[in-house]
Amino acid sequence: MRLLRELRILLPFIVLIALWWAIKVGAQVSDTMLVAPPAVWDAFVHLVTHGILAEYAASSLYLIGVAALISFGIGVPLGFAVGANRYAARALEPFLRFFQGISGIAWLPLAILWFGFTHTTTLVIVIYTLVVPIVFNTMVGVRAIPENYVLALQSLGAGRLRIVRDVYLPGALPSIVVGTRLGMGYGWRALIASEMLVRQGGLGDLIFGARTFNQIDRIMVGMIAIGCLYIVVDRLLVQPVESMTLARWGLLRQ
Amino acid sequence: MATDKIAVSGFRHVFQTEAGPVQATGTIDLTIQPGEFVTLVGPSGCGKTTLLKAIAGFIQPSEGTILCDGKPIKGPGRDRGVVFQELAILPWRTVRRNIGHGLEIAGASKAERDKTVARLIDLMSLTGFEDRYPHELSGGMKQRVAVARTWAADPEIILMDEPFAAVDAMTRLTLQEELARLCAATGKTVFFITHSVEEAIFLADRVLVMTRRPGTIKAELAVPRRNAGGRDWDSFTADPEMRDIAEKVMHLVHAERV
Amino acid sequence: MTVNRIVWRLLPAAPPAVLLLAWSIYWAIEQPPPSVMPSVVGVIATFGELALGDRLGADILASLGRLLGGAACGIVTGTIAGFVAGLHRPIAAFLTPLVVFFNAISGIVWLPLVIGWFGVGSALAIFLIWNSVFFIVFQNTVLGVQLVPEVLEYGVRTLGASRWESIRSVTLPGALPYILTGIRSGLGFGWRALIAAELVGATTGLGQLIFSGAEYHRADIIVAGCLIIGAIAMAMDRWLLLPIERRTVQRWGLIAPDRSR
Repeated sequence: MRLLRELRILLPFIVLIALWWAIKVGAQVSDTMLVAPPAVWDAFVHLVTHGILAEYAASSLYLIGVAALISFGIGVPLGFAVGANRYAARALEPFLRFFQGISGIAWLPLAILWFGFTHTTTLVIVIYTLVVPIVFNTMVGVRAIPENYVLALQSLGAGRLRIVRDVYLPGALPSIVVGTRLGMGYGWRALIASEMLVRQGGLGDLIFGARTFNQIDRIMVGMIAIGCLYIVVDRLLVQPVESMTLARWGLLRQ
Repeated sequence: MATDKIAVSGFRHVFQTEAGPVQATGTIDLTIQPGEFVTLVGPSGCGKTTLLKAIAGFIQPSEGTILCDGKPIKGPGRDRGVVFQELAILPWRTVRRNIGHGLEIAGASKAERDKTVARLIDLMSLTGFEDRYPHELSGGMKQRVAVARTWAADPEIILMDEPFAAVDAMTRLTLQEELARLCAATGKTVFFITHSVEEAIFLADRVLVMTRRPGTIKAELAVPRRNAGGRDWDSFTADPEMRDIAEKVMHLVHAERV
Repeated sequence: MTVNRIVWRLLPAAPPAVLLLAWSIYWAIEQPPPSVMPSVVGVIATFGELALGDRLGADILASLGRLLGGAACGIVTGTIAGFVAGLHRPIAAFLTPLVVFFNAISGIVWLPLVIGWFGVGSALAIFLIWNSVFFIVFQNTVLGVQLVPEVLEYGVRTLGASRWESIRSVTLPGALPYILTGIRSGLGFGWRALIAAELVGATTGLGQLIFSGAEYHRADIIVAGCLIIGAIAMAMDRWLLLPIERRTVQRWGLIAPDRSR
């Protein structure tokens, strides 16, 4: 049964690879546009055995990890402060919305002027990209908590800290997770784009560097690695937390 | 005066809205004695909830004073428990943890908490649902948890704002009987808001009737109790005296239809 | 009370005012080189300079044209494919793994590969936007179509509606909130992809405007360009997407599955 299920996930990819190969051979597409699947496999084996892929992937994962931690540290408390106070929310909401419209990558030229072609530049861009959705969604989550929850706890004698711990934090958690997922979607892309321009390692650097030498095989290995890593991070880290909180509390499709 | 559990005098409330001030209530005076079950009936929008919120301490009255045990009310406190119409139990806590929340906040030991929770789970017929989450319960069950949570915190006064309004009619009858039993067993002072005349009379020692907005208290009827221990709907509906009172209250309420 | 209301009205202006003030004070004290950190006045002057020149208008038009083209392709193909997959479970089951994978690499990740296919220019940007929008719209449409209660469909079928009519009058409006949510977040990704694509893969457009600012060490152009990018994104959300959502979703008393972005 398990095997059958896995086969059903793999089958579409097998069909896709067959299609890709058929186009490559049938239409005589030049190697500078598209390479055949075996060439990608060879490049994959080469990049893995020489430790190149691991090195570039590690750089990307390290940066996104650090950025996620910092963004969480900044975004969640800020989101709480804004969400729990209606004056702060009124003041900051349009401001945050505005900055949400300016993608992190748009600040990249300025960041390069300030920090040069360094990891700091990439880190700043990714943190900026991640922080805004996290703050925003934390704020939305806190504000969506029914006032009665707070009132009920007050009449049970709860103080401010207790209300934050027992009501605001768990109440806003699903929304924080949604914000984090969205932020990671934007952040991972900002990371790749920033790495392409900063050229200091990372999978973005790998695929953009391969472009310079028309190494289509390397580009495609890099793309597949980027996709797989994102799915692994999303499915293994973020989604379990999401389904645990949402399903357990019955907040999904009430 | 000093014996009044709650004394509201000259209370009036005005809400400030974007469109300007809105008078929420007329001038209200009332007292509630210790151990008394007082119900308040009135048309929607007459300001019942505003009055209850003021007694709970969630809002400061625009005019007048509210005394609890002779002391002015400054804000919400654990001496006055509140049961809301909309569910205010926390969806991320199990039944057990919701009921024990008040004791947890008060810093009670785990043993003490377990004992009280177990007693209330038994009293409110929640046995077997201790470790369920609220979304796994029916509406009536959830409201039982809300009532049990308030009782577990052991406040002296309990304020209830149409707690059974969102529950289906059959379950409602059961909940009302359970509440009556609970009150008889614990002797709490209860202030209960409803727009159901039968519910008001069935539960109360005293019924207050409010006018339409801006609401004031237009009448007050004592409901005699023959056997305080057992209140049930069968004997209630069979009692001609209760039917008389119901008719009177119905008359008073109907005059306020908008 | 009126004072309170005035304060309430003015509150949204507070954070930008604080930011401008902090920036001005920092600039007055530190006197950084304008090529790295422009002054407030410098940026305002640049705004004027950009507004008077003809480059800005052309860049905005180029970017908006690409967004429009790419998003339109993405929305149309995504909705149609989503409907087909949503109505036929085997197709949805077959496509889901592919969509999950390609969604994970949508947008800018394709740039190094497709720059060899399309070269530098609008086609590249349009492809990347289509790529960003399509998968999100597709996934949301499938979800929306699958979640339309069957009861509603039976309702019109018993009234004698054909399958086509029931799709038109039940499934489409029923799935609309999800489709709109997909479009809204798809445009968020598309807009980001566009700016990133224009940084290296175009000769015109707002991304190119700020990139050239970096090349000529004109931080004032970068800041002004970023503010224009933000203003356009905000205007699109407020005057295009929000009204559509209001007119459909809210009027029918439906709630969009995820209002937060």
